[in-house]
Amino acid sequence: MSRRVLIVIAALALAAALVFAARPHEATADERIDQIAAELRCPVCQGLSVKDSTSETARQMRDLVAQRVREGRTNAEIEAEFRAAYGDWILLSPPVASWSGLVWLVPVAALAAGLVFVTGRLRSTDAPPPAQPSAIDVAALRDRVAREEAAEG
Amino acid sequence: MLARVVRIAVVVALLGLTVTLALAFRRDPHDIKTGTILKAAPTFTLQRLDGSGEVSLADLSGKVVVMNFFASWCLPCTQENPALVRVYERYRGSDVVLLGVNLQESRENGLAYVKRMGMSWATLADDDGRVALSYGVFGPPETFFIGPDGVIAGRHIGPIAEDTLVTAIETLRARAVR
Amino acid sequence: MSAGDLGAAALRAALFLSLWGTGASIYAAWRRDARALASARIAAGVGFGLVVIAALSMMFALATHDFSILYVAENNAKETPLFYSVISLWAALEGSILLWTAILAGATAFIAFRGTLAIPRLATTALAVMFAMLSFFLLLITTPAADPFARLALAPDNGNGPNALLQNHPLMALHPPLLYLGYVLTSVPFAYAIASLILGEGGDRWLVATRRFALISWALLGVGIVAGAWWSYAVLGWGGYWAWDPVENAAIMPWLTSTAYLHSVMVEEKRSLLRTWNLALVVATFALTILGTFLTRSGVVNSVHSFSLSAIGPLLLGYLVAILVLSVGLLLWRSARLRDAEPIGAPLSREAIFLFQNVLFMAATLTVLLGTLYPLVAEAISGAQLSIGGPYFDRVEIPLALALLFLMGVGPQLPWHGASRATLERQFTAPIVAAAAGAFAALVTGTTALAAVLTYALGAFVIATVVQEFARGVRARRTLHGEGGLTAFSNLLRRSGRRYGGYVVHIGIVLVALAVATSQARTVDAEQTLAPGETLVVAGYTVRLDAIRPVSEPQRDSIVADLSVTGNGSSEHLRPALVQYPNSAAAIGSPGIGAGLRDDLYTILAAYDQRTLSWATIRMRVIPGVSWLWLGGAVVGIGALIAALPAPRRRAVRMPIAEVAVSAD
Repeated sequence: MSRRVLIVIAALALAAALVFAARPHEATADERIDQIAAELRCPVCQGLSVKDSTSETARQMRDLVAQRVREGRTNAEIEAEFRAAYGDWILLSPPVASWSGLVWLVPVAALAAGLVFVTGRLRSTDAPPPAQPSAIDVAALRDRVAREEAAEG
Repeated sequence: MLARVVRIAVVVALLGLTVTLALAFRRDPHDIKTGTILKAAPTFTLQRLDGSGEVSLADLSGKVVVMNFFASWCLPCTQENPALVRVYERYRGSDVVLLGVNLQESRENGLAYVKRMGMSWATLADDDGRVALSYGVFGPPETFFIGPDGVIAGRHIGPIAEDTLVTAIETLRARAVR
Repeated sequence: MSAGDLGAAALRAALFLSLWGTGASIYAAWRRDARALASARIAAGVGFGLVVIAALSMMFALATHDFSILYVAENNAKETPLFYSVISLWAALEGSILLWTAILAGATAFIAFRGTLAIPRLATTALAVMFAMLSFFLLLITTPAADPFARLALAPDNGNGPNALLQNHPLMALHPPLLYLGYVLTSVPFAYAIASLILGEGGDRWLVATRRFALISWALLGVGIVAGAWWSYAVLGWGGYWAWDPVENAAIMPWLTSTAYLHSVMVEEKRSLLRTWNLALVVATFALTILGTFLTRSGVVNSVHSFSLSAIGPLLLGYLVAILVLSVGLLLWRSARLRDAEPIGAPLSREAIFLFQNVLFMAATLTVLLGTLYPLVAEAISGAQLSIGGPYFDRVEIPLALALLFLMGVGPQLPWHGASRATLERQFTAPIVAAAAGAFAALVTGTTALAAVLTYALGAFVIATVVQEFARGVRARRTLHGEGGLTAFSNLLRRSGRRYGGYVVHIGIVLVALAVATSQARTVDAEQTLAPGETLVVAGYTVRLDAIRPVSEPQRDSIVADLSVTGNGSSEHLRPALVQYPNSAAAIGSPGIGAGLRDDLYTILAAYDQRTLSWATIRMRVIPGVSWLWLGGAVVGIGALIAALPAPRRRAVRMPIAEVAVSAD
């Protein structure tokens, strides 16, 4: 079987697996409680989420979240209830639609700037081929071979 | 051109970093603000610890309400208790109501603590912690000051001193008169 | 003379010697004066000895419970066991800076004696920089800001004892020293880089001189971070190993830039490019270690490690600013000379992959930096309080990490200067097939979250590329040298240690990635209140509460829950506890952990009946794959060791006499 065919088949299989993993599915009540609890900060701990904390306060918060989920509230409504009492501090991840949402911009901007910078430094693929090396270059190359062997060995 | 931009960006970033870190000294990492300040106090109806009835916030409208969250397992609560006792005696029978709210323990434990500390004011049981959560309580001891208009005027985290209590109460009473 | 007096005197003498050394090495470099260099050497050696004496004096004072010293009174008690007394050297601010200074003094001495032999002027200038930094730290610990030997007018009967969290687990002996070694050793490449800039050298000699230091500091930092994760897991008792706590972030930032550096340095070695960038990376790594120290020690962020607010904050900030101003100033001044002579290479070349990898690492570092500092900024400017925690960092860093995993597999397979399509097909067939197999392995084991499946796929991809590289190397050695398979393999590691040790490191990173993906995707937990004899069932394991009993030791009282856990072919007895130390207001949770290659059984005693011990609330977490984290960390350390060890000398080749006679004609 030619390599190219093998690569294509493998790539398709991989894509299928990923599509399956990414399929949207309705979160169960328990999963929703966990999701919301993971986004809330435990007020009496050092930066732990309500989901991870074993404190009594966290347990009571989880109970409240569970009750609201049973009552049919949305994730946003439940988070809003806690925000009304504790302020934005209670959310472990800043809401996108606010001043603090600017932090989401940082990684994107850093990546974009970096990629632009790097691609600017790369040689374009249709550059002319490098010229034949001169005697001086050859001597320098020998030197470098010796250096590399020393470094790598 | 690009090199110049990069240089300026680097210098600006460093300046920003330095200023940020220097400013950070002004901040006390233990001072946390809550979302409920200056908003209407969440209503509640709680049972008394000794089982002798209920207390509703709605019944207390027009009065100055001091809500103190406490627990027997909270060491600083024992420290602030004498101040609370003195303030209670001072304002007994007036338009100032002192409420104690017991958190995260059994009623028996709470009652035993109340008796031991000589807390004669109305002490209530917040069994599931919902009232504390609605007020944005971080942990006992925590004291909220509710004005006659039903709005939370302020909050104190940690053991509270007598003069802090009196100052806050008098400020709220003065507003009521006006 | 007591231990405290000896230590204090030793530090002050060391400060004097360090200042002398700074001046002597500056003079020696400037005037190329051998005698000044000799005196600087002596200053370095004796200074190191003195700081070590000071550290040992503190350990002695702790072991003998000398409460006339403030530090001992605050961090030690009569009941503290000997082991924890001794390691309390780094339990709090002043002692940990003493440890830091000792390591720095050792590095300075090393450069004074070994470094200056190889490249005299460069190393001597670097030595001056090291002495200057050492002087700063010695100044810190001989002033009231952080003097570990400060005395108490009236010695108390008994001390406070170490912080409860710091005497609960023997790992406390390992995590801080490893981390500090990693931190402090980043100052060596930094010193050489600054020296190179000051002397205006355009060359790469500073790189070659510090290659091993950079690798060793990176490895120690990485292993120290993994040790910290293990400590968080085994001691803090919340069931996780990484919480994006500000101090954890402070440690990982220099590690990220250091990793980027280790790779882009190869581009400079091969093709003499990216000089300014590499210098900037070295400066950034070192500056981040100081920033990390500042964040940990100054009290401006609330964290697990928060030391109390002290005067040291502004001093460290000043030091950080001075370093940044000096380094950036030098870089900007010299940057014209260091410009690249040619473009980097084709998009599908190893150089390009290293560049992309660097971009990803920079994005990752910037995210962590701004995420940690943003709450400070926001509050200082507007008074608003907000949190940036796990969910934010996870959402950004996980995709970046996956992209890096991918590059980790691609990079080593691409040749320098560029690859043809035929090369690509040949190199990547097996890895892509492996990736598909990895994805299916994930689905089959029940790991269906997208990020986890991707991790498995990319992990298999990387492993396949590494196996391919080893196979190719073994084949080459067998053909060229006629070695047997096993000999060829071990020779690859010994003679080309840098490359193949690097591949071993990559395998370790894959293990860590798989551990994180599996544990995040498939952890299950349940909590229940049980009476003795009752059981709780989670993920095929049955947990029975056998008994709840109090345990009394000289330095602490605990309530222990005896649990029997059975299921899935294993049977364990675990003992989670709630431990009360006299100097702590709240009890510390101590988890009961049954470690396994497949799953870890993590049990927590959340609450118990305080009056009659008739019930206990037990939380049980089944965490698959977390053991691979520690394994992966060990593999990374081994790989770094292979890469750092010098190769055995080449045997001389003997020419047969007949050939020599022939060529003489």
